[in-house]
Amino acid sequence: MSVDKVVPLGAVGDLVHDGASVALGGGWFSNHPMAAVRELIRVGRRNLHVMTIVGSVDVDLLVGAGAVGHLSFSMVTLEAFGLAPNFRRAIEHEGLAYTEYTGLGLLIGLEAQGRGMPFLPYRGPFGSDLPAHYPDIYATIQCPFTGEELTAVRAVKPDVAIVHALRSDAEGNAQWDGTSGPDIDMAKAAGRVIVTCEKVVDRSEIVENAHMTKLPSYYVDAVIEAPFGANPTSHVPVYALDAWQMMEYAQAAGSDEFGAYVERIRTESEQQYQGRVLGDGRGELLAELVAVARVLERQGQ
Amino acid sequence: MTDYEVHELMVCRVAAEVDDEGVTVMGSFTPLAYSAYMLAKMTHAPEAFLVGFDAVGMEPFQLSFTGAEAAAYKGAVCRWGMLTEINSIHLSNHGGVEAVSSAQFDGDGAINLSVIGSFDAPKVRLPGGAGAAEVIKMYRKMIAYFGKHDVRTLVKKVDFVTGTRWKIGPESREAANLLPGPIVVVTNLAVLVRDHDERPFRIESVHPGVTPEQVVEATGFELEVPDDVPVTAAPTDEQLRLLREQIDPFGTVKFDFVSGKDRLQYLASVLDAEWRRAEESIAARRP
Repeated sequence: MSVDKVVPLGAVGDLVHDGASVALGGGWFSNHPMAAVRELIRVGRRNLHVMTIVGSVDVDLLVGAGAVGHLSFSMVTLEAFGLAPNFRRAIEHEGLAYTEYTGLGLLIGLEAQGRGMPFLPYRGPFGSDLPAHYPDIYATIQCPFTGEELTAVRAVKPDVAIVHALRSDAEGNAQWDGTSGPDIDMAKAAGRVIVTCEKVVDRSEIVENAHMTKLPSYYVDAVIEAPFGANPTSHVPVYALDAWQMMEYAQAAGSDEFGAYVERIRTESEQQYQGRVLGDGRGELLAELVAVARVLERQGQ
Repeated sequence: MTDYEVHELMVCRVAAEVDDEGVTVMGSFTPLAYSAYMLAKMTHAPEAFLVGFDAVGMEPFQLSFTGAEAAAYKGAVCRWGMLTEINSIHLSNHGGVEAVSSAQFDGDGAINLSVIGSFDAPKVRLPGGAGAAEVIKMYRKMIAYFGKHDVRTLVKKVDFVTGTRWKIGPESREAANLLPGPIVVVTNLAVLVRDHDERPFRIESVHPGVTPEQVVEATGFELEVPDDVPVTAAPTDEQLRLLREQIDPFGTVKFDFVSGKDRLQYLASVLDAEWRRAEESIAARRP
């Protein structure tokens, strides 16, 4: 009999405490664990140390909701929808504490922790002003064999990682088909791992697609079924970016309406959220956007 | 010859740098860079190896704000995780070409995606560089593009060095275990190139109707101006046809060239078209 790690979305508040460091999976507009992010807002988490490689609406929403005390990132962007408004405002005007990494620096810090190492060396980012600002993270060391000068990055250990998978069994063998981004390395580095997924499935379905299991169950502490759990970001190949909700978000986040926007998320259940944004055929349309995406032919093929 | 707009000229010039050697990692969805990669892959560089989202190796695809990731997924030869592959590509010199843009750029090949003003009390907090800091140093070629060539963007010295080319000349790059290759800057006015440790950027070409003097005036760092500066090669009819009909029929590239309050309106109109196509596809399936 295998262990059943399935818990309801409402358990996120029990697994992530005020002040915890939380690595959020996904990248750019792909596959952020948004259902869990909304739950963190519902339960009113405060003073979180949020870690992201490339965050977007996940990070900006948490910052805007007042849940973040420190931010570690290599990029936070709303891409076509502009600079992330809450991220900007909190840093420029409210003194939000942050640590800006280079992209590889943060990835390698996670990798170090995943391997149980205090640091890992690599070549670079020579010439960048960032390492000098963060001597507790970046240091210069010499290769013991050749004497070459290298950059050491300190291991990054989030208390919790939250990642969104395509499916998982109850034990936590989690599968991705499309973008897993930094999810696996965040999970391996974290003290505790929450997997939200589109669907909790029987173990036999995992076995049938064993090549898609990217996170074996021994890394995973809790499994939460959260269909459309990455919305408004994408979970390809199931659904595409909800660009219309992003537009609404970007406009609200840059205006006085943002308080009301957050209040709506705080007071509605995940089911109500889904009814609101996926009803009226919108869910089907977000799936169809994947179907109509077009691969082009190279010449001579 | 077909008439063209400056963003199409820029796409074609960036595409010319994409070749069959090494890997291109596509980070943020930057339509100008993406369309250049797709154009190269559909014309002179069919073996260009593109990595984006979790697609490691892919067929070229049509650009859209909502469909790029799904199209990359569909044409992928391998689906993998970000860290595992990007780490190896960047760090073991597999990186060939990646086109980046930034809020500020200077004559040393440094980019600023961090802050305008001081780091600790910034006037503008920019998004951060993601992998750009490492990419521009480690890749064989550094390609940078700017839709608005002016002294606010091409500055004497960036406010903050998020990342930099670090070693520029071929000998100093090789001595640092880096692949030798140039810095190529493509703007709405001209093409600038630097491949020497001591010598500054030189104007490689100016776009039609632009003089070298205008380029010097719009640039905050020193430029070498050759006696004869050629005009940037115009896109071919075939390139324009592929861009307009196949790669970017929704007009995502032009979005970056729309400014002010027209910008969101333009984005909304592109998204409308993307929505309608999906809606029509659903309707076509219904009996």
